[in-house]
Amino acid sequence: MAIEVKNIVKNFGQGQPDVLKDITLKIPDGAFCTITGRSGSGKSTLLYIISSLDWPTSGDILINGHNLHSMSMEEQHRFRNRSMGFVFQFHHLLPELTALENVLVPAMKANEVKARQGWARELLAEVGLKGKEDRLPARLSGGEQQRVAIARSLVMRPQFIFADEPTGNLDSSNGEAIMELFQRFNKKEGTTVIFVTHDKNYADLANYKISLVDGQLKNSSALS
Amino acid sequence: MWFLSMRHLLSRKRQTFFIILGIVLGTSAYITISGMMIGFQSYIIDQLVNNDSHVRIKAREDVVTPEQMKQVFFPNEAVGWVREPSGRKDDPYISNPVGWFNRLDDDNDVEAYTEQMQMQAIATHGHQSSSARIVGMWPEKQIQVSSIKNFMLKGNFEALAPNSKRVVIGEMLAKKLGVNMGGTIRLTTGQNGPKPFQVAGIFRLGVKSLDESMIFAPLNDVQQLNQSPSRITDIAIRLRNVEMASLKADVWSFTSGEKVQSWDQSNEGVLSVFKTQNIVRNFMTISIILVAGFGIYNILSMAVTNKKKEIAILRSMGFLSRDILKLFLWQGIVLGILGGIVGVAIGYAASRFVNTIEVSAARGLSSGNNTMMMSYDVYIYVRAMALAVGSAVVASLLPAYSASKLGPIEIIRGEGN
Repeated sequence: MAIEVKNIVKNFGQGQPDVLKDITLKIPDGAFCTITGRSGSGKSTLLYIISSLDWPTSGDILINGHNLHSMSMEEQHRFRNRSMGFVFQFHHLLPELTALENVLVPAMKANEVKARQGWARELLAEVGLKGKEDRLPARLSGGEQQRVAIARSLVMRPQFIFADEPTGNLDSSNGEAIMELFQRFNKKEGTTVIFVTHDKNYADLANYKISLVDGQLKNSSALS
Repeated sequence: MWFLSMRHLLSRKRQTFFIILGIVLGTSAYITISGMMIGFQSYIIDQLVNNDSHVRIKAREDVVTPEQMKQVFFPNEAVGWVREPSGRKDDPYISNPVGWFNRLDDDNDVEAYTEQMQMQAIATHGHQSSSARIVGMWPEKQIQVSSIKNFMLKGNFEALAPNSKRVVIGEMLAKKLGVNMGGTIRLTTGQNGPKPFQVAGIFRLGVKSLDESMIFAPLNDVQQLNQSPSRITDIAIRLRNVEMASLKADVWSFTSGEKVQSWDQSNEGVLSVFKTQNIVRNFMTISIILVAGFGIYNILSMAVTNKKKEIAILRSMGFLSRDILKLFLWQGIVLGILGGIVGVAIGYAASRFVNTIEVSAARGLSSGNNTMMMSYDVYIYVRAMALAVGSAVVASLLPAYSASKLGPIEIIRGEGN
């Protein structure tokens, strides 16, 4: 199993209600997995905890058998840089960098800009932005910016992509295009994609589904 | 992070320009003001150090006190003075000059010394008279101790041979008395009637008080004039290292009855004015640098606030908090280095320009060709550069640190709310 979540509980301080209540699940390698639920059900919190951006109050997360939260900060960051890609509701591109440079930002951290440049161009072509590599984000549409963000999340050929409502800020045609991209990379590269969505149509595309109600797991195909 | 830092700076061209301008102004102002002040101060200090001696041993002037008189004349009696005894005990002379000469001859720190007899006198020429300070000395020794030879306008300092009855006088005193080279002036110290001396040279030190009163004469002629043969009042000493002057003076003073003062101790008043000048100069510079520093701080703080989300993304992509620190710190360093380099260049150009401004012909205010004194000491430029870079780094440290402390999840979670 690529990801194992064991008895995760999360609250935001003593006396505060639990946002996640004893969650246990497994996500296999290469899964196309959705996390769904109503607002406040804890889906984004679960995604951030699985991806090591946030910490659980109790419980363990094992990725490839390793407990990410017991790694040193440096190892954790290196792992995140090499093995994880993130896409958020807002693209958060660096406005002073071109589309190509934005895609290469994770490679800058790994000192692999030259080695990854060809792949970054391929990715931009793959997401339909061939010829727009040198444009600044301000000169791209919202959908195009989000596609640059997806290319950025893939530039290190990560094992996992974590996406928090990646289509939430886009119109339906752009939203569909983004989901298509995720599916394509999931199939072509074997990347495990875990994304949070409100949209039932997109959730139906997944082969692994995690549904949360008030912080508790409900009807999950990823249940152990 | 270097690449990202540069892109950040270039994306805010106007702000970057004005920040650099602030640093340039601060740096160049520091260089120009320091150059002027240090140039002037160095000239004056050079005058103080080289026109006179590094250390001067002077006979101590003792004053009579009622207690001393009672101890000597009425040790066991109660005394009520009608008029209390007061005044100087005797003419002050160095009590054991030979002892001093032996000591100075044996001291490796001493480069040269000359014995002197200094006293107040009245100089007259025809109907003109003026008070004067006569310095009796041996010319061949005097020129090793001070640079008087360089300040001769007319005549030869070494013409003051023993028993020659010749003098070398200050330019303004010569004008006051209306005497010229070869003329004769009459000198008296009050011990005897006036004696004639021939003017063998005229000097200009550039210090008004000295140029209008100072007279150099052979030591034995002055001793004769004062009717105090073999006596001396001063020993002027030149050290191999001027930096040791006050230390040497303290040691000699501690182990002798004479008054021993280094050049800086006897010119404490002038040096304290310089200290005040330096405080004003540093205060001005710090003010300018502070303004530039606050500019950097404000702009980087705003950048940190505006770029929180980008910082969160960078952190999520594996950038460590120290990478984020570097991202903003590099910007401060680059601003400081760029502003410093341009500021040093402009400061140098401004100094060259100020150096050409004509001022009073009086020596001491101007360089040899009557233009403003200016120092090009490399230390000024190094310090200016260090100030520019240092202030920029300090100003960017706080925003950089606060940016590095931003955790990705707090920002991302905050955005959803």
